[in-house]
Amino acid sequence: MAQPATKTYKKRMIKDGDWAWAYAFIAVALVVYALFTAYPVVSAFLISFQEYKPLGSTYIGLDNYAETLRDDLFWKSIRNTIKYTVLTVPVNLLISFVIAILILPLRKRLQTTFKAVYYLPAVASGVTMSVVWLWIYDPLPEGILNQLIGFFGIHNQNWLGTSDTSMFSLVLMSWLSSHGTSIIIYLAALLGIDDSYYEAAELDGANFLQKLRYIVLPFLKPTTLFLLVTGVIGSFQVFQNAFLMTGGGPDNATTMVGLLIFNNAFKYFEFGEAAAQSLILTVIIATIALIQFKAFGKDVEY
Amino acid sequence: MKSRKKVLTSILATTLSLSVLAACGNNNNNNASPSASDSPSSGSPAASSAAPEAAKDTITALLPPISPKYQESIAQIEKDFNALYPNLTLKIEPAGWEDMTQKLDTQVNAGSPPDIAFIGSSSIPKYLEQGMLMDITDSVTPEMIADYNPAVTLDYMKSGAGLYGFPAYMVVHSIGGNKQYLEEAGVDWKKVQQEGWTYEQFREAIKSGAAGGKHYGFVFATAGVAARDYLTILAKNAGMADPFTKDLKFAYTSKNYLEVLKAVRQMIDDGSMPKELSSVDAGKRWNMFLTGQTMITGKGLATFENSAKANNAKLEANDGSAVKDSIKVDYIVLPVPTFAGAQPVSTTVIDGYVTFRGKKEPTAEHKANVAKAAYYLASGKVAAVTNNDLFASHITESAKAAAASLTIERSAENLAAVERMLTFATPPRPDIPAELSAKAIKLEDEVIIPKMQALLANEITPEKMYDEVMKAAVKEFGADGVVQD
Repeated sequence: MAQPATKTYKKRMIKDGDWAWAYAFIAVALVVYALFTAYPVVSAFLISFQEYKPLGSTYIGLDNYAETLRDDLFWKSIRNTIKYTVLTVPVNLLISFVIAILILPLRKRLQTTFKAVYYLPAVASGVTMSVVWLWIYDPLPEGILNQLIGFFGIHNQNWLGTSDTSMFSLVLMSWLSSHGTSIIIYLAALLGIDDSYYEAAELDGANFLQKLRYIVLPFLKPTTLFLLVTGVIGSFQVFQNAFLMTGGGPDNATTMVGLLIFNNAFKYFEFGEAAAQSLILTVIIATIALIQFKAFGKDVEY
Repeated sequence: MKSRKKVLTSILATTLSLSVLAACGNNNNNNASPSASDSPSSGSPAASSAAPEAAKDTITALLPPISPKYQESIAQIEKDFNALYPNLTLKIEPAGWEDMTQKLDTQVNAGSPPDIAFIGSSSIPKYLEQGMLMDITDSVTPEMIADYNPAVTLDYMKSGAGLYGFPAYMVVHSIGGNKQYLEEAGVDWKKVQQEGWTYEQFREAIKSGAAGGKHYGFVFATAGVAARDYLTILAKNAGMADPFTKDLKFAYTSKNYLEVLKAVRQMIDDGSMPKELSSVDAGKRWNMFLTGQTMITGKGLATFENSAKANNAKLEANDGSAVKDSIKVDYIVLPVPTFAGAQPVSTTVIDGYVTFRGKKEPTAEHKANVAKAAYYLASGKVAAVTNNDLFASHITESAKAAAASLTIERSAENLAAVERMLTFATPPRPDIPAELSAKAIKLEDEVIIPKMQALLANEITPEKMYDEVMKAAVKEFGADGVVQD
């Protein structure tokens, strides 16, 4: 009995003869998706089994995958990417959450101002941001950050030039920029919590931390999961900062997997190996996302 | 009314979809054939004008701002070429230095590169390995070949038996000093210019230069890939003129390479070079030179004399656009020191107009037309003006003749020093197979440069780096494919 009802509903939504129009309207999105998402993925899959040459590629089976899995630099780049993700994503979530909580009690106009201020770095060009950070990380004593640590009697550091500090420098850059999107999403979620919960908690004598623990955190769980999953995906694909700030150095200490794929493809023209590495990265990201959903998404409803 | 809206929307949707498809369409017809009839081109390719019945053709060129005034003269260059060959159109696509390689690489890998691109001769193996360079050996005329003096400069654009373009100029990558600081440190710079110096003499000189603690003795840009320049320049003067020996063995496993690596650390440990050297990029070291923070800088180009003079003029005129905190500096061209008793070898860079092909086999007519355009750009008036701007050496008789009427203000001592260095320029090596060169470039990128960065940051010893390079080289070329002295 349910099937005819569904059919009737669909018929009501789209009358006979309107199907063609519906397909015409979604054609643009479909063509764009097919050309710029589906086709590149299928093409990358095919190229990953080839030694790519513009004048004619050669089928080489699983050689690119085998070569990738044997490559020490690939595993080093995976380790670097995991290190970067672990150091940046949770801290960035915490920073965004704290700032959203601080903005929440403000008047609407002031809230909007702060949202705009924190979103501004997302609008600015990544290249421009990197130039500013390069200036901050000037290794000589007159560098901005070196002058700052100089007040505490610490000698100037070669921030981007040594393995000990280069990864930290990229992490610090992430901590201090680009929280705008997360703050806005957290704020929207915070504003969605009904005041009656806070009022009830206050009647029970709950303090700020208790309200945070028993009201805010449970309500924000879906938002946090969303930001965590997208944050990890974004972090695994990180490329720009390492490319512009360190070039992956020194001694590949900041070579992330995204940068390695870029180098293989566009520096050495080894598109087959780069495609294989991209697909391996896709599998890694998908697995991590699945684990995150399994671990944290049990009582989350969308 | 409702129906009309639907029709209008569907037309818009279809138009947008088709636009996307059209934008992704293959527009690879430049390399393939002349744009008009297939009638054969007539006359000598070097003739001053083409016969009226010659087929029309368009030649595309991707060119960076080769000299400061190059971009503004592009329209005139195109016009003059068309006046010389009325049936041919030269279409120049300007590119910035920053995105030149990326633009070209993208076009090459899509199978539709420009006919001509301005790149260094050292990049030829990379594109040849992709099969995308166009051999113009059969399309050049004896007049074009004869114009090159010294003739050997043309060999830099060769790989095996193929010729893949025309070189435009030859420049020496050396080092440069602050005249006042050199004299204060007791360095007889004129003698060094005329006779060269050994690493031991150089080490003492930069130690003296840094002795007061007011400035460093030597700063070389090494951040990122510039580390390759530093090592290459030093290695050439330690008996390794190329990554491969005459019998095609990988050279950077020689014991002399270890001596160079030891010297790299010594100069930092002496305090003659900054301990933060690994983060000093090209812009930073030039700033350090102009602001009096170093006695000698590298790499140095002859044109730096011009840049220093321009800044001096601004300082004298109290012009606010002078480099902040800069001082008046007289730039002195200096040769790179030699190591372990090796003969000096100058790092010479040959840049020029390299010829590319598309996926389709180019016709003989198109090849000849591309050769004409590349030669036109690399010689005569175009080369004369560009090379003079860059203080670069002319390598064609036609450019020398055209430059005779152009005035150039240049230090006689520096000019003589450059001329001397050109006498022991790195010889061309068309005998090195493209595949071998490509492997060496990857080994440099993946092992040598990262390890060099670690060496500069004092994270590994010279011996450790040497072992790592040896291990990677043996893995890549085999134990018999590397120098083991």
